Amino acid sequence: MRISLEDVWHVYSPGTAFETVALRGVSLSVEPGEVLGIVGGTGSGKSTLAAHLNLLLRPTSGRVLVDGRDALALRKSELRRRVGLVFQFPEQALFAPSVEEDVAFAPRQMGLGPEAVEERTAAALGVLGIAHLARRPTRALSGGEQRRAAIAGTLAMRPQVLVLDEPTAGLDPFSRRELLGVVRRLREEGTSVVLVSHDLDEVAEVSDRLCVMEGGAVRAEGTPEEVFYGELALAPTTVRVAARVRESAPGLGRPVSYDETLRSLRALIGG
Amino acid sequence: MGPNGGGKSTLVRLLNGLLVPDSGEVAVAGHDPVTEPFEVRKRTGVLFQNPENGLVAPFVEDDVAFGLENLGVPREEMRRRVAEAIRSVGLSGYERREPHTLSGGEKQRVALAGLLAVEPEVLLLDEPTSMLDAPGRREVLRRIGGLRRSKTVLHVTHHLEELLEADRVLVINGGRLVAEVEPGRLMADAALLEENRLVPPTVPRLAADLGLGSCRTPEDLAGAVLRRVWEGSGAEIR
Amino acid sequence: MAPGAGRGTGQFYPADSPLHALDPRAKILAVAALVVGLFLVDSVAGFLAVGAALLCLVQVSRVPPSTFLRLLRPVAVIVAFTALFQVAFVREGEVVFGLWVFQAHSEGLRLAAHLALRILLLVAAAALLTATTPPLSLSDGIEDLLSPLKRFRFPAHEIAMMMTIALRFIPTLHEEARKIIMAQAARGADFTEGGLIQRVRALVPVLVPLTVGAFRRADELAEAMESRGYRGGEGRTRYRELSFRGRDATALCIAVLIPVGGILL
Ligand SMILES: Nc1ncnc2c1ncn2[C@@H]1O[C@H](COP(=O)(O)OP(=O)(O)OP(=O)(O)O)[C@@H](O)[C@H]1O
Ligand SMILES: Nc1ncnc2c1ncn2[C@@H]1O[C@H](COP(=O)(O)OP(=O)(O)OP(=O)(O)O)[C@@H](O)[C@H]1O
Ligand SMILES: [Mg+2]
Ligand SMILES: [Mg+2]
Repeated sequence: MRISLEDVWHVYSPGTAFETVALRGVSLSVEPGEVLGIVGGTGSGKSTLAAHLNLLLRPTSGRVLVDGRDALALRKSELRRRVGLVFQFPEQALFAPSVEEDVAFAPRQMGLGPEAVEERTAAALGVLGIAHLARRPTRALSGGEQRRAAIAGTLAMRPQVLVLDEPTAGLDPFSRRELLGVVRRLREEGTSVVLVSHDLDEVAEVSDRLCVMEGGAVRAEGTPEEVFYGELALAPTTVRVAARVRESAPGLGRPVSYDETLRSLRALIGG
Repeated sequence: MGPNGGGKSTLVRLLNGLLVPDSGEVAVAGHDPVTEPFEVRKRTGVLFQNPENGLVAPFVEDDVAFGLENLGVPREEMRRRVAEAIRSVGLSGYERREPHTLSGGEKQRVALAGLLAVEPEVLLLDEPTSMLDAPGRREVLRRIGGLRRSKTVLHVTHHLEELLEADRVLVINGGRLVAEVEPGRLMADAALLEENRLVPPTVPRLAADLGLGSCRTPEDLAGAVLRRVWEGSGAEIR
Repeated sequence: MAPGAGRGTGQFYPADSPLHALDPRAKILAVAALVVGLFLVDSVAGFLAVGAALLCLVQVSRVPPSTFLRLLRPVAVIVAFTALFQVAFVREGEVVFGLWVFQAHSEGLRLAAHLALRILLLVAAAALLTATTPPLSLSDGIEDLLSPLKRFRFPAHEIAMMMTIALRFIPTLHEEARKIIMAQAARGADFTEGGLIQRVRALVPVLVPLTVGAFRRADELAEAMESRGYRGGEGRTRYRELSFRGRDATALCIAVLIPVGGILL
């Protein structure tokens, strides 16, 4: 499915002294089967934007379209099953007494039978590597364990679009890699993934396309190569190294991910 | 450092007296956090892993002032330190905002400002940069670096590059202290990294994979690559 | 989570007005004077005079009147019931009009009008206080007014801190409920669809985590306060300054004159 935002504005607490304009005319789309990275500074509107993709927040003005139709016309619960959102604070996502019950919540809501619920729950726990925590109370988890439980709870819906808000914050380095592996695998299976992150190095690893937010507006959009080489201040470490080398050795090409960068630097040194 | 569920946050809570050890003893500046919690707490500041958990007041500036109020700091000095702390985390203009309406990174900055305003002897920071953008992260690391001579800082993180300047790195895995090393030694010890689910930062990792010597910054690495290229081509010409 | 964390439900409305600038103690005393005064007012004209004075104050406070209306609405329902009760059961004075088996007596109407006006004015005055005074200053003010009693070991600071926490906890509970609803909605729970019964049923799974969550939040708050060195009022200083100046005294005098005017009318 394709989600697009057309000139979306979002104002928090309009008409009060606390009024804050968080989105200022954002237009962008999430294409079927792609990984869209959303980066930007603190308070630039990333989480606000993410919550518009499943209409957990409604635009103050502008429209959200799903496959060309106004998303407001869809059943909310249906929309939210198809567009799974994982919150920035995992603690906020967990509400059931145990991990297992929490992950089973969405499949139960979908009206699946007990076997299907169990199958999906076990699968989601397995993908995130937390099968051993199934019986744990959700409040007796470490930060990284909470993060994984929260992602599992959304994955169990098998959404067509998965929106992850800072999913690797609090994960150890191996777990971060494993999660990026999960993202790649989902894309291969045809799921679109929206990855909100301030960690440019990890966005560079998996994104097909990037959107850079600043002050509630889209500042740049394009493939990682275009965006990063267009503005080195936004670039991840790999691109900063490669760009520096290119100044003296223009034949290097424009690698972005770690493996690409390693390969092209090796070729340069070797040849 | 150490894998998820290793026991880092538990350790932080033991040092602050929020958890009581089942056996063994804890001493912070010579005081037991369980029997003399206030003696310990007036000397230590904690930044919780989830910044939301540390916020207590309905407005940003009151929250930042809370620790100072408890220490009985005079009002004039308090105003100065609160304003300075808010400015140093880049939140000027947010004084009258309600903390629960802030973005993730903004909450983390407020929590940090509350700590910087007090400047306690011991800072216990549980993943203080997990939700910050790159400039925010650099700024916080700079502030922490500035405190290192005069204060004791315990900095929990999953990013090895944040600890390159640390005096010592403790690796905690499965509830045990499995290593105590200098950051340079840790980075060079592939087996130790692997066992503890750690990955070196991108620059040294690339340098190692390319068979170049140790490099710190992207510029260093680019320089090393180019030198190698020139050497290679020079040799061919000769 | 930032998204949707709506406007806090605390009643404070920040603005830059003379009322906001007043010392909280002056405002608390003024409201106290008004409360006492209102019980002595004994004519509809008197109530209307007090009401007119309050309306002027609302104007001065720069708080949008809609904020007050929102606060007054639930109270109005209770007031209407009480007033109806008075009209229906007080049988003194002449019969003014009759409806089916009920007869409205003049005394009943008078009492009903007085009661309704009194309650509405009380609530309006209290709302004006909380709308123009941040919760922390409010509790600082209360602590300070109670502090002479500290000599008799009266726990003034603790009582004021309890009030602050209680004031803060209402929005916190609201926030907690909102988070759980958002978390469940994000995983496909229906809250806005279907008939009334279905919607109420969808809320049941929110209640258990809400109760658990409220206790957990209380614990977290206590942990956060303690770990930041809180240990009661002793040796504690205040960030917010309370200074009773000339304008506060003037304002207090005016506030006392309002119900006096009402009593004389
Ligand atoms: N409930 C709210 N009420 C008022 N303002 C809000 C609310 N939630 C967010 N904001 C403001 O809107 C802006 C955008 O917030 P948002 O959470 O979308 O930022 P973000 O890009 O996700 O930031 P971060 O990287 O820190 O998570 C911020 O300035 C924030 O203070
Ligand atoms: N309240 C609790 N009750 C029971 N077990 C808990 C509780 N909190 C944490 N644990 C468990 O104790 C272990 C250590 O947790 P801790 O939070 O200290 O880990 P951590 O090193 O901080 O991990 P992370 O990097 O994920 O934050 C974990 O296995 C965790 O599941
Ligand atoms: Mg965010
Ligand atoms: Mg932890």
